[in-house]
Amino acid sequence: MSDTLNIILNGKIVQGIQGETVLELAQRHGIDIPTLCHDPRIDPYSSCYVCVVEIEGYRGLPSSCSTIIVEGMKITTENDRVQQARKTALDLLVSNHYADCAAPCKQTCPAGVDVQGYISYIEKGMYHEAVGLIKETNPLPAVCGRVCVRPCEVACRRNLLDEGAPVGIDYLKRFASDIDLDSPNKWKPEIKPSTGKKVAVIGAGPGGVSCGFFMQKEGHQVDIFEAAPKPGGWLRYGIPEYRLPNDILQKEVDNITELGVNIFYNKKLGENVSFKELKKKYDAVILTIGSQKGTLIGCEGDDAENVFSGIDFLKEMEMSGKRYNFKGKKVAVIGGGNTAMDCCRTSMRCGADIVYIIYRRTEKEMPANPIEIHESKLEGVEYLLLTNPTRVNKDKDGKVKSVTCLKMKLGEPDASGRRRPIPIEGSEFDLDVDYILAAIGQKTNVNFLEDINTNLNGNGELKLNRWGDIDANPKTLQTGIPSVFAAGDGVTGPATLIEAIGQAKVASRSCHQFLMGDPVAPAKEEFLSKRDNFKKQDQEDYVGLYKKQMREEMPTLDPKKRSNFKEVELGYDSEEVAKHETQRCLECGCTEYFTCDLKKHSTDYNAEQGKYTGEFKEYEVDFRHPFIEIDNNKCILCSRCVRICRDVVGANALGLVNRGFETYVAPSMGDKLQDTNCESCGLCISTCPTGAITENFPFKPGPVKLEPAETICNYCSIGCTINLNHKNGFVMSTTGKDGMINKDGNLCRFPKFGYNYLNDTTRITKPLLKINGRFEEITFEKAFKLITDQIKEVKPDDNVFFAGARLTNEEMYLIQKLARGGAKTNNVTSFHYLNRGDGYISNSSANVPFDQLKEASKIYLIGSEINMDNAVAGFMVNNAQKKFKVPVDLITIHKNSPMKHKANKVMKVKSYYHFIKAVNYYLVANEFENGLFIKDNCEGYEKYKKKLLKENFVDLVEKSGVQFMDQVIEFAKEFNNEMNAVIIYSEKEICAQASFEMKNLAMVTGKLSKTANGLISLKEKNNSQGLFDMGICPKVGVGSQAIQSKELQQKMKEKWGVKSLPKTVNESQFDSLEKGILKNIFIFGEDPLGCAQNKVKVAGWLSIAEFVVVQDYFMTDTAKQADLILPASFPTEMGGSFTNTQKVIQEFGEVLDSKIEKNSIEQIIGLLSKFKLNGPESVQDVMMEAFALLTAKEQKEKLQFNYTDYKSCHRLFDYGCDVIIKRFEEHFEKSLKK
Amino acid sequence: MEAIKVTVGLGSCGIAAGAGKVFDKIAALKKAEKLDFELKKTSCVGMCYREPLVEITDESGTYLYGEIDEDKAVELIDKHINQQSPIKDYVVHTDLFETIDNTFTDDQVKITLRNCGYMDPESIEEYEERNGYRAIKKIAGSGLSRLDIIQTVLDSGLRGRGGGGFPTGLKWKFANNNKADEKYIICNADEGDPGAFMDRSVLEGDPHSVIEGMIIGAYAIEATGGVIYCRAEYPLAIKRLEIAIVQARQKGYLGKNILGIQGFNFDVYIKEGAGAFVCGEETALIASVEGQRGMPRKRPPFPAASGLWKKPTNINNVETFANIPWIITNGAKAYSDYGTAKSKGTKVFALAGKIKRSGLVEVPMGMSIRDVIFKLGGGIQNDKKFKAVQMGGPSGGCIPEHLADIPIDYDSVNSTGAIMGSGGMVVMDETTCMIDVAKFFLDFTQKESCGKCTFCRIGTKRMLEILTRITEGEGKEGDIEMLEDLSYKIRESSLCGLGQTAPNPVLTTIKYFRDEYEAHINDKKCPAKVCKPLLTYEVIADKCTGCTVCAKNCPTDAIDGARKEIHFIRQEDCIQCGSCFTKCKFDAIKVY
Repeated sequence: MSDTLNIILNGKIVQGIQGETVLELAQRHGIDIPTLCHDPRIDPYSSCYVCVVEIEGYRGLPSSCSTIIVEGMKITTENDRVQQARKTALDLLVSNHYADCAAPCKQTCPAGVDVQGYISYIEKGMYHEAVGLIKETNPLPAVCGRVCVRPCEVACRRNLLDEGAPVGIDYLKRFASDIDLDSPNKWKPEIKPSTGKKVAVIGAGPGGVSCGFFMQKEGHQVDIFEAAPKPGGWLRYGIPEYRLPNDILQKEVDNITELGVNIFYNKKLGENVSFKELKKKYDAVILTIGSQKGTLIGCEGDDAENVFSGIDFLKEMEMSGKRYNFKGKKVAVIGGGNTAMDCCRTSMRCGADIVYIIYRRTEKEMPANPIEIHESKLEGVEYLLLTNPTRVNKDKDGKVKSVTCLKMKLGEPDASGRRRPIPIEGSEFDLDVDYILAAIGQKTNVNFLEDINTNLNGNGELKLNRWGDIDANPKTLQTGIPSVFAAGDGVTGPATLIEAIGQAKVASRSCHQFLMGDPVAPAKEEFLSKRDNFKKQDQEDYVGLYKKQMREEMPTLDPKKRSNFKEVELGYDSEEVAKHETQRCLECGCTEYFTCDLKKHSTDYNAEQGKYTGEFKEYEVDFRHPFIEIDNNKCILCSRCVRICRDVVGANALGLVNRGFETYVAPSMGDKLQDTNCESCGLCISTCPTGAITENFPFKPGPVKLEPAETICNYCSIGCTINLNHKNGFVMSTTGKDGMINKDGNLCRFPKFGYNYLNDTTRITKPLLKINGRFEEITFEKAFKLITDQIKEVKPDDNVFFAGARLTNEEMYLIQKLARGGAKTNNVTSFHYLNRGDGYISNSSANVPFDQLKEASKIYLIGSEINMDNAVAGFMVNNAQKKFKVPVDLITIHKNSPMKHKANKVMKVKSYYHFIKAVNYYLVANEFENGLFIKDNCEGYEKYKKKLLKENFVDLVEKSGVQFMDQVIEFAKEFNNEMNAVIIYSEKEICAQASFEMKNLAMVTGKLSKTANGLISLKEKNNSQGLFDMGICPKVGVGSQAIQSKELQQKMKEKWGVKSLPKTVNESQFDSLEKGILKNIFIFGEDPLGCAQNKVKVAGWLSIAEFVVVQDYFMTDTAKQADLILPASFPTEMGGSFTNTQKVIQEFGEVLDSKIEKNSIEQIIGLLSKFKLNGPESVQDVMMEAFALLTAKEQKEKLQFNYTDYKSCHRLFDYGCDVIIKRFEEHFEKSLKK
Repeated sequence: MEAIKVTVGLGSCGIAAGAGKVFDKIAALKKAEKLDFELKKTSCVGMCYREPLVEITDESGTYLYGEIDEDKAVELIDKHINQQSPIKDYVVHTDLFETIDNTFTDDQVKITLRNCGYMDPESIEEYEERNGYRAIKKIAGSGLSRLDIIQTVLDSGLRGRGGGGFPTGLKWKFANNNKADEKYIICNADEGDPGAFMDRSVLEGDPHSVIEGMIIGAYAIEATGGVIYCRAEYPLAIKRLEIAIVQARQKGYLGKNILGIQGFNFDVYIKEGAGAFVCGEETALIASVEGQRGMPRKRPPFPAASGLWKKPTNINNVETFANIPWIITNGAKAYSDYGTAKSKGTKVFALAGKIKRSGLVEVPMGMSIRDVIFKLGGGIQNDKKFKAVQMGGPSGGCIPEHLADIPIDYDSVNSTGAIMGSGGMVVMDETTCMIDVAKFFLDFTQKESCGKCTFCRIGTKRMLEILTRITEGEGKEGDIEMLEDLSYKIRESSLCGLGQTAPNPVLTTIKYFRDEYEAHINDKKCPAKVCKPLLTYEVIADKCTGCTVCAKNCPTDAIDGARKEIHFIRQEDCIQCGSCFTKCKFDAIKVY
């Protein structure tokens, strides 16, 4: 059968590959088919039925994810029928998706400000980022942070908790904005390249300047024409300064004009600016004219002197700069809105004796902000509620003398839902007043209609609606004239600041479309799942689920000190207060807002949450695992988590409970996830297409949009490619990336949950010198001098250099260069392998590539808890076992090995070393060796055999700890007979001698260096292998060349520009440390004191030394003992390469900004220059130099048999580990045990 | 003189009706009075509506006595055995004279049920006496090849009796074609349709025929292992199967080199299912046998290629297997002589619902539905009007009275929108509300959905909610269209048969009884007077005697009226419980 098939895909003939699914075929041909239940890492499943397609001759609509193509298949991936089916599938799924995509605060905000997102930034002290996020939709955060009516806070779910007060959203916004406003690094938007288009905006009120901001950002030139002499509109002329200081307003407007927006003052459309002129000069016009006219009381006598509209009163003072003098006067303010509040509180500040608020309903119905009412009462305003003025009484001069009022009572609710006031007959009374300020509404004043319409030549018409406001399409805000748009109060009638901004956003978007020649259309409505669509949220849904925390109230000016126009609200005192308040945010919006596939497809197919109503399931969120949370409310039962856990991880920790509509996902047997076989790898999170299984974040994730920074994981030696998803360096998640090693993008718990150290603010960023027992910051220059002087002061071999296995190849290379070329000593090694015994397999060249695991006939895990320490390799073993039916045998010393439930066979031993040696003995003694292989490839067999056979088989078996001798014999025979046997062991678990014996076993049986045959040694750290390749070894240099090799010496001298190189050191570093003869100890990237099994010993070594230098990220136990600490860079901050356990060198870039003035590489380069060594300037040059030192000769050495003696066979790593692993393990284990 | 035989029917239906006690009573009498007759057990003969059944065979012939309790048993022994005078009034069936139920068996042809009720199911010898294990012996003796067997089954025209109707021979052929070191044959005994009990009766009454069918199938496809997947709710069937398996092993019908056929090694074990309806679906069944959650998976690959433990697997249901030995023994033609062009042989039906004689019948394919209901089933209970019959269980549909003359065969039944299914026939009369029926079946499938596919899991739930709404008087315009739309989509986009057929009861009732739906939705009335919230109870003034019984029984005190005065129901307080209607002795309550 041919491998390719002819398929008709959407009417075109395409080539299909035998065995592939319709979905795969379509994807290969660039056709997007939505799916929720499919993940290429696991077998097709077919449950969501979102990926349906039409196939000629097939029954129904088959799911493309699991339909295998056949010759001549005719597939249609998109037509009405398919779309309808997909929509219905989504309609049904969302009909039982009791969850919020976005938080109510964001949904309620007329401008759609992402509150949860900016609160997340404020929590992290990322104030500029917070402002940047706000300014995506609201360019006036500092203004808004003061005077917004805060619909967000009304909607805030914190209101439903005991304390009954919303999160201080506006206060937080103001806090971040004020910091940003005065910062030299204030956030600036990116301005797109100029489009050459010009836009005139009429009016520099909030709507106008917002349009300026949005349009200028798009690359258009915006000119604003403002009738008044200053910008801000009612923000300046209506809102008194005690609420909104003019300088704050000015600074925010300046931020906008700095982008290139021009504002022309004292220019009024229809008076000194004509539309004709605008039409000539500009490509489009946006009218943001506001509602300028105040409304009078509308009762008899309201023409009396000293009766004004409230806004005229406020505006007059701002325009003239003079305050009214109300000393000894009585003022009545009519109305219950925020303007009324501004008027009454301003009147108090103008010295009035008595200020009345006259309002016809009760306080509950007042539209003013409660906080304003509260403050006005503090300031002494008197409230006459349920009172309505009916007549203004004048004195003989025509001035107001008193006002006649009528008492009211409340009747039935009217159309607005407020109860209608009804006069109480005979309740009239007179109130003596000197001034009346009417704050009962405003009107739009359009006096340029004629000017516009006469200049159009019939191309459209600007009209007014029945309220006298500008008539514009409510969705696009385009007016009757295609090139004219309108926004703000001029369209809506008097409304709020935030509504004006929201409108400006819409009008700007439409205007931009118009200018770019696109059809003017509203934005596609985004699908948003809402809990409120299912039921009204009330207290019982929230109380008890969250910790009680009282709201951080805003400090205010003492009411006694308010006889002026100083700002009353003072802003939060400190970052701590702000940060504390952020903790009150319940994070109602989904963390997967930006990544949810359900949301994406639902938007694409216009799914409706209300299409099918009925029962919905409500579940409690399972937070019991410290890192993984399960929210069944969001689950769509695609089972991807269940399947990936079963088929890839092999843990089977999750399962489906119940059936039908009652089905949900839960850890097996309903246990806590951590009490199942869960390995906390997080693959369930990676596969969940919605937000049902997510990371239990230790911070507020927002969600905010993150940037991926691709790098290589720096935990274990597998070498997985990962993305650190961050915002300006703050890493908020890690995701897998299809890499050279982890081809399917799988990750384990280390990178998934071990990224928080990257955000740790206790990091060391400057050199620290210990002076009188305390560390003090010094300059790099001073640190370098100190180090150089110290090295020169002692004999070369009194120096010792340690390099950690976490470092990049480049760092390692430079460290040994500093030792050998600078300090002139070969005392260079790593605590990682210190006192490791006689020898070990340093050269991993015999490693079987992971790819070949599936071709093995059997996999032996000997001393390898592969699913915990190297889980991604564990996934590959699992895959070989599950998919390719390769049996896996586990030989372990652990009673409860975490691999136990996954292996086909488990053998318990007490000593790996004796077990393997016994096997070797048996094979050799019975002459089962592979003579041909040994003859061709190996050396030293006879000698090995002779020595081995002197040992006692029975004794070896006994020491191995197996129950019966037969087990050893059976193992030996079986292993010998396997066609393709792969042994996997961890260097962490076994001792050096045992590793030699395993190599001997592989040679005896002729299984080394063959396809899918032999050994895989798993090293502990990301660059354990690099230590050998880069010469972190007293006796070998780069490329594991003998350090005394003439060729190498010659090359080093040439490259480094040195005349001499040090002699070999004969004493091991361990012995030297023990003897205390080393004077200077340099430790790069290791924390032996923190990690060693025998800490007392290490502490002793360090205390004897004269001068200890430690380079690390954090104040580790070792660093604390140092005399001088150098700050270390994260690999992502400098780039470089790691060599994985199979000798694959993987480079990665500098993807995150360095937080240190000189990165680790630059520091060593700086030190090298002190010794006048030639060498690289940058990280890129380092590897070039290292490669130049390699030998040109192809070395084909024979495999060596090594006879081993039993010494105390302890595991390889007694001292070496870095602080990151230590931190992870401590944190992880501790959290899991809680 | 041959001994008199007294046989008591001890199927589940008999035991439920008290046959166990009757058996014990007769045994005690026999022992106490040292009576000379042979006391035997058998299983259900199909007349479930007359249980407990006792059959007495003497020289004159066989008498089947129905509805025999302990007292009647004493009487029977006394009269028939001691005095040799049969009690004619108790006889429900005999060849000797006309009885009320003789017509029940007149038109039946028993192939599947050939032994049910005629032998002791726990005796392999009796089975052998009744030609049991002759088919497998024939194969062993004649050297009938695998392909010959498959051809015979193909020629017989036997189609899968589980409901799918796929030609059994073809299925075997596929399984035979797929070569592997291990193969399996599975008997699907996960009978789950409400009202269906054909498989249970066969397993309880004739377990060996199923085992023999499996052995033949195993031989034909070279299966190495057999599994009977039986629901745990059938304890008697499981017990009798276990006994039968042990007996078959002892006799060498199971085990190694069966009947001397070299290399033919085969054994069977029982896997008890936990009662999930979906496990009757073959891929879900396989998952369940493997210890996984019983969820279907996409086919292909079909089990014939990759089934149990990913090995080629053949699955047939109980009834199918029970036919096999008969076909091999009697030849393909004998079987295909029965039936229609495309549906051969006989089919067992379980009659239930508003029918006079509920029980098991086996008829040749092609008999009309009406004949089954009226000739065999004796017509509708209380002689009410026949309205419809639900065929095929929850996956099937309602066939209205006007289509009752169609012949029963796969294609004719399918053409109505119903399906043959495993053989459930639920008969409905004029007092059955068709929306209520649709709701009943949908409630079943909705609850039995495994929860995998979106459409089945949520779609059937939403449909059920709409139906519930309609029956509660909350139906809205557009509901019928929404039901139809969802039905088509659920059919089109579900993985397994459960989802694909779940809307059938709704679609067929809409198709044939749309006016009933409209009456519920538009007029808020239930024409069959079943949906309580839609009923109105009123006192018929002319008939009311003022006896106050209705008022006294009204749980909400919604009935006013003094003694000897005409009563009145206050509608605002009435909860439509119907107690006035049932309590009134004067038919003075009107329901509409």
